[in-house]
Amino acid sequence: MRSRRFPLWTLLGVVLVVALLIGSGVFSSAPVTNAERAASIESVIRCPSCEDLSVADSSAPTAVTVRATVRQLVDHGLTDSQIEEYLVARYGSTIVLDPPASGWSSLVWVLPVAGGVIAVAVLVVVLVRRRQRGASALDDDVLGASADPLAVDERRRFLTQSLADADAEYLAGDLSDADYLSLRHRDLGRLAALGPSPASSAPIGAVSAVDAQSGTTAPATLTEERPVAAVGEPEPQPEAESRRRRRGRNNWFLIGAIGCFVAALVVAVPLFSSDRLPGQTATGSVSLSPSQQTTRTLDQAATVENEGQLGLAAQLYQQVLNGHPGDEVALAQLGWLEYKIGQQGADASLLSDARTKLTQAVAAAPGDYAAHLYLGTLLLQLDGNAAAAVTQFNAFLADSPPATVVAQAATIVRQAYTTAGIPIPASVAA
Amino acid sequence: MTGVVPPETVPAPSTTQPTPRRHTARWIGVTVLVVAAGLVAVLATRPPAAVVEVQSPLVGAQAPPVRGLTVDGKLFALTRPPGTFVVLNFFASWCEPCQTEGPELVRFAFEHEQAGDARVVSVVFDDSASDARSYQATLGATWPTLADPRGEIALGYGVREPPSTFLIAPDGRVVAYIVAPVTAADLDSLIARAKATGA
Repeated sequence: MRSRRFPLWTLLGVVLVVALLIGSGVFSSAPVTNAERAASIESVIRCPSCEDLSVADSSAPTAVTVRATVRQLVDHGLTDSQIEEYLVARYGSTIVLDPPASGWSSLVWVLPVAGGVIAVAVLVVVLVRRRQRGASALDDDVLGASADPLAVDERRRFLTQSLADADAEYLAGDLSDADYLSLRHRDLGRLAALGPSPASSAPIGAVSAVDAQSGTTAPATLTEERPVAAVGEPEPQPEAESRRRRRGRNNWFLIGAIGCFVAALVVAVPLFSSDRLPGQTATGSVSLSPSQQTTRTLDQAATVENEGQLGLAAQLYQQVLNGHPGDEVALAQLGWLEYKIGQQGADASLLSDARTKLTQAVAAAPGDYAAHLYLGTLLLQLDGNAAAAVTQFNAFLADSPPATVVAQAATIVRQAYTTAGIPIPASVAA
Repeated sequence: MTGVVPPETVPAPSTTQPTPRRHTARWIGVTVLVVAAGLVAVLATRPPAAVVEVQSPLVGAQAPPVRGLTVDGKLFALTRPPGTFVVLNFFASWCEPCQTEGPELVRFAFEHEQAGDARVVSVVFDDSASDARSYQATLGATWPTLADPRGEIALGYGVREPPSTFLIAPDGRVVAYIVAPVTAADLDSLIARAKATGA
């Protein structure tokens, strides 16, 4: 029987291990492109102003900033660990979602593994013991001298009750003669196999059982059989001795387990009750700001705009402006969209709207390089006003825009400076 | 004592067996209660995170650069080393604790303006420049307030939420980090402590 089950358990174990390995991602290929690398780093960096959310999953402004920084650092050729170190040097080690595997924090990794190993070991021991007991007691209906007397009592009580039930059912006409005799023969055989009723079976008589052999009520028979052990000084029997030892061992296990639990708490309480880092809360609540919804919509708009869905992007920017008419990002981006669409279709009213929005955006956020770039482009291309465009491009360059944006804008910026007869700044020189 | 004993007078073994188990359950219960009570006591007596000076890898290190456009559109850069104590305060107009500490910062700036030993620099955190500008104007804050629209200064300082305040020593080291509404008295005592430790 064991030889048949063994491969099944082995198969289950192999399936489990393979599933865990696949799930753990060890077989997935390492990220290759910069964008994939950035995405994989972003997935393990915690959003600074949220709880238990990666910057990849969060649209909070702090997460947006961290994402931009990660991409910038990846582009600069920093390794994954250097980027993590860069962020840890500013936010502390909690900025990484996975706790470090050193110092006290390593307990977080060690304890679950240790707990798992102990749990499996206990499970195996319990199952093996149960199987051993089951093999002798349940499969064969024979309990040897070493079997637990309590189990024997229980078994005897069950069989006695079963016989009584059979009697009652037979009298009520629910059982045929053949069935009744067969059941009775089986249970009596099993009762006989249990051996004579020992002294500890006194309570069986007390619960009005029917005697297996005679069918009469049992108390008299059973109590007469009771040896002196019940009233005199009990002689330590081997079973009782081993039971006591087993119970003693179990108690020690229990005391040990409680001791471990208390020790873990003693370690954990001072460890986790130290000063919390900013952003951490006792309740684990997520800190929200009124502008987070806006930022989320702006993110969505930027994404669909990059995908070329300009109409949908315009709708999303408009949605932000409906709630916050002064939002400089939405003003600048929608203004720029309207300018591009207006130019394509030569739509004067759209171009006029674009000019209004871009002017508002520049006024609302003098430090926003994008608004200056958009307005400068409009002034140069639509009005041919190179001098005014240069003023905007000066502000654009002063706002330290990312190198990629400068590279994209270099041509139009150079054109403005050249037309206005002003020397071209070094940052956009060809 | 050797005759037949009626069943009900015999101490049946089965009734004495569960005794250790009942004790065990009691002990487990008591232990869990004691531990739970201890945890509650520890957590309940902890000072709330909002009023404590918190850890930061930056404390003791050189302050990251503070430069950019102010909410008024002027370029500002904190000199390195600054030469005086600098209270670098990250705030937002929508943040209620910031509104609590605002008047305290104004008082601190006013008190130290004459002595010239400390000054305040604010950085807008997760807020529009226009809202921050009108908030600072209402407050009467005349010190430089950087717009930080992309949160780069906040990232440099590892700021997670407003209000967050860094105290920078004259030699450019970060000497304290508070995530709470600060008072002028708090800042004065932090400066005194920094001076005592040789900043």
